[in-house]
Amino acid sequence: MRIGGCQLKLEQRVTLAGWEAALMSILAIVFALFLFGFVFILDDVDPLSAYQEIFSFAFANPYGLPLTINRFIFLLLCTFAFIIPFKAGLWNIGMAGQLYAGALAAFGALFAFGGKELPSPDLSPGIVIPLMLMAAALGGAGVGAIAGFLKGKYNINEIVVTMMLNFIAFWLVAYMIKEGGPFMNPGGRGESFELPSSVYAPLVMDVPFTIFLVLGIAVLLYFLFAKSKIGYQIKAHGHNPAAARYAGISTFKIPLWVFVVGGGLAGLAGYHYFAAVPGVYKIARNYGFFGDLAFYGIICGLISLGNPLAAIPVTLLFGGLSIGGRFVQGKLNMGFGLDYALLGVLMITLVAFQFFYRYKLVLSPSKGSYW
Amino acid sequence: MQAGLLDGVQYGDTVLEARGITKRFPGVVANDHIDFEIRAGEIHAILGENGAGKTTLMNILFGLLQPDEGELYIGGKRVEFRSPLDAIDLGIGMVHQNRKLVSAHTVIENIILGRPRAGTVLNLKRAEEEVNELCERYGFKIDLRAKVWQLSEGEKQIAEILKALYRGAKVLILDEPTSALAPPQTKNLLASIQAMASDELAIVPFITHKLPIVLEISDRVTVLRRGKVTARLETQDATEESLARQMVGREVIFRVESTKVETGKRILQVENLSTRSDKGFLALKGVSFSIREGEIFGIAGISGNGQHELAEVLAGLRKAEEGQVILEGQDITHSSSLERWRMGVGYIPSERVDVGSIGDFSLVENVAMNFYFDDDFSGPGIVNYGDIRQLTEELISEYDVAAPSPDTKAKNLSGGNLQKIILARVLARKPRLVIANLPTQGLDVGATEFVRNKLVEAKEAKAGVLLISEDLDEVLSLSDRVAPIYEGKFMGIIPGDVAKLEQVGAMMAGLRLEGNIIEETGDT
Repeated sequence: MRIGGCQLKLEQRVTLAGWEAALMSILAIVFALFLFGFVFILDDVDPLSAYQEIFSFAFANPYGLPLTINRFIFLLLCTFAFIIPFKAGLWNIGMAGQLYAGALAAFGALFAFGGKELPSPDLSPGIVIPLMLMAAALGGAGVGAIAGFLKGKYNINEIVVTMMLNFIAFWLVAYMIKEGGPFMNPGGRGESFELPSSVYAPLVMDVPFTIFLVLGIAVLLYFLFAKSKIGYQIKAHGHNPAAARYAGISTFKIPLWVFVVGGGLAGLAGYHYFAAVPGVYKIARNYGFFGDLAFYGIICGLISLGNPLAAIPVTLLFGGLSIGGRFVQGKLNMGFGLDYALLGVLMITLVAFQFFYRYKLVLSPSKGSYW
Repeated sequence: MQAGLLDGVQYGDTVLEARGITKRFPGVVANDHIDFEIRAGEIHAILGENGAGKTTLMNILFGLLQPDEGELYIGGKRVEFRSPLDAIDLGIGMVHQNRKLVSAHTVIENIILGRPRAGTVLNLKRAEEEVNELCERYGFKIDLRAKVWQLSEGEKQIAEILKALYRGAKVLILDEPTSALAPPQTKNLLASIQAMASDELAIVPFITHKLPIVLEISDRVTVLRRGKVTARLETQDATEESLARQMVGREVIFRVESTKVETGKRILQVENLSTRSDKGFLALKGVSFSIREGEIFGIAGISGNGQHELAEVLAGLRKAEEGQVILEGQDITHSSSLERWRMGVGYIPSERVDVGSIGDFSLVENVAMNFYFDDDFSGPGIVNYGDIRQLTEELISEYDVAAPSPDTKAKNLSGGNLQKIILARVLARKPRLVIANLPTQGLDVGATEFVRNKLVEAKEAKAGVLLISEDLDEVLSLSDRVAPIYEGKFMGIIPGDVAKLEQVGAMMAGLRLEGNIIEETGDT
């Protein structure tokens, strides 16, 4: 393309520095917000004030901020559940099923301690909460292990398996919590029995303790990929499975490992939302909504290029916008689905901008051309 | 685009000319003011080591890359290629080294693929007649109805040449035309090339090694070194030595002589070993041999005769169907590849890019492939990248790897440098048994000499070396004992100093010479 005496060319990038990727993502976000501004304009809403409402509710409002942070914790765990297999070159799109299984397992542990009985028993949080966490991780890991085992042993496509397991887990939850199910709420209502208040997750400034857990995991994963043997093996498998096999890396163990650990983290996301977020404390009737939300883990994982630390700001943004978008939709009387539309536009723009991870625009003086 | 610039060219007319072609990549000038011309009916070879800029020039001539400076002329008219389609339209055909054919389709389907004249309704019969005519004219033997995946490398190459000819190519660019061929196939191909040249086709073979072939068939040679033309001469004025000197920039020793080393105790013993290929048939059918300390055991054979499977079974990457592998007294038939690495097996795979390295990994991480599990380079659960980086730096300087830094990605290295780093990494483990599968395939003269010397050094350091090669000169000059392999069986085992080229060549083709072969099962 020519502009005046200059020629605009696309050049392939040789390297991409971390700050360049970050800059590109910020530009993409700005561009996405600009694009989405037209939606507000069509509805006769001033985009700037709408965005101000969205961001101030999501990040600066005493009611909005905890909601944002709870979404953030959930999304970050789901993102890790995607990233770990992704680094091994495998696609986990079964975070939904894994988190359902995690939630079921956590409530199963509670059930075993008599948590369903009325009046609510006085359980010891020091014992029950760690057991619920462990059960959640194991539940998610168990579902993940199916996909990992089938991939490693028989090379069965992990995308299909994880996807199908989502449906199985979804209906399993329905069976467990709806009328007649073992975990059914005594009042019916299509939800599970409630958590006894004695085992509510401890809060730190209105935020569940799971935030420390997830941030700790982020740092741990960063070191796992940067320093550890298993991290090296996962990356080698992800880049070139044949070369990994040559180097003595088991092409059975690695798929199994990443799906067990990834599934376990998704299971923790199930614990977090249904047993740690204030005001929920049960497997809610609309649990499918959280399964859908879990899919944003895929996109957040892709945008952060598989970097567990970069995933933190990305998921914080997505969490905030989903909360702020829903808020502004109600406040400004706008159409249903505004928050989804906003996340959708953001997602497409961010992915489209990844083009610039591989190419850069170069402006050079024009030279003579035959045509 | 003006097709038909080359219609009616006569013998001796200049068909393609490049003037001052320059192409820069970040940090390197791949082509530095290269001039080149070719006439109809001429075979004009372009010779250069890996990294000399051959591939870049080839891609520019075929429209895959656009030069930063310089001009291209076809039939005397200036042209600029936006894509290979322009080049094809103007009569340039290219035969890639990495075949670009649809393997599930037949040869004839591949030949007519993308050809405008084929029409909406395929007239395969007419196309077949036309292609058969070409085959007869130039002496190509190929079954047009065979599926491409069933073909040998040589046949695939013929299919590519036919495809270019059928599209009306007047200039034929051949990338390493003989690199995948056995001696008889090479002979046939060279005859076909000469037949094509006598039909006023201009032929440009790009060649890295195999200087004798250049001398045998070409009319003129252009030699590249580090992106520049270092010599352009009539072939009759050139000798193997002079070409090599221009390519490498120094004198080259052609024959690396293996030294005689006192052989010690037995390192590897293989008994009646069989295994299956990826497609499920028995590829290796009961071979037995042994390798001692300080010995190079050469396996000579054309690819696809079971030697690749043998290397993989020994490296632990393929299951043995039958038989036994014993390493220094221990049965390792069922050991994993990681256990074998730890026990002192070092495998240099023939697939440098697909198996031997990880393109997106830095050199440090690539070296880590053979060290991440080593106690000297790792702690509990942790890879000690600091130590591996230091080792990488040492290896880069010791093996003279042309890489800007240890953080360079492996995919940015040329084939020769990649092979050096793989070799360096494997030999740095001081393996007891080195399995080198086609270690010099596709390497330039300089790198080939280097790799061969390193294998001899490993042998001098009392390792046992299994050398698998298609290059008879290589096997015969390096090996202490030679086993020609044919269809999964050894045709005998001959001491290297007794083996004759013709004899081994015949055995590679399946002739089991009785009488003067010394049969061995291991105990010598």
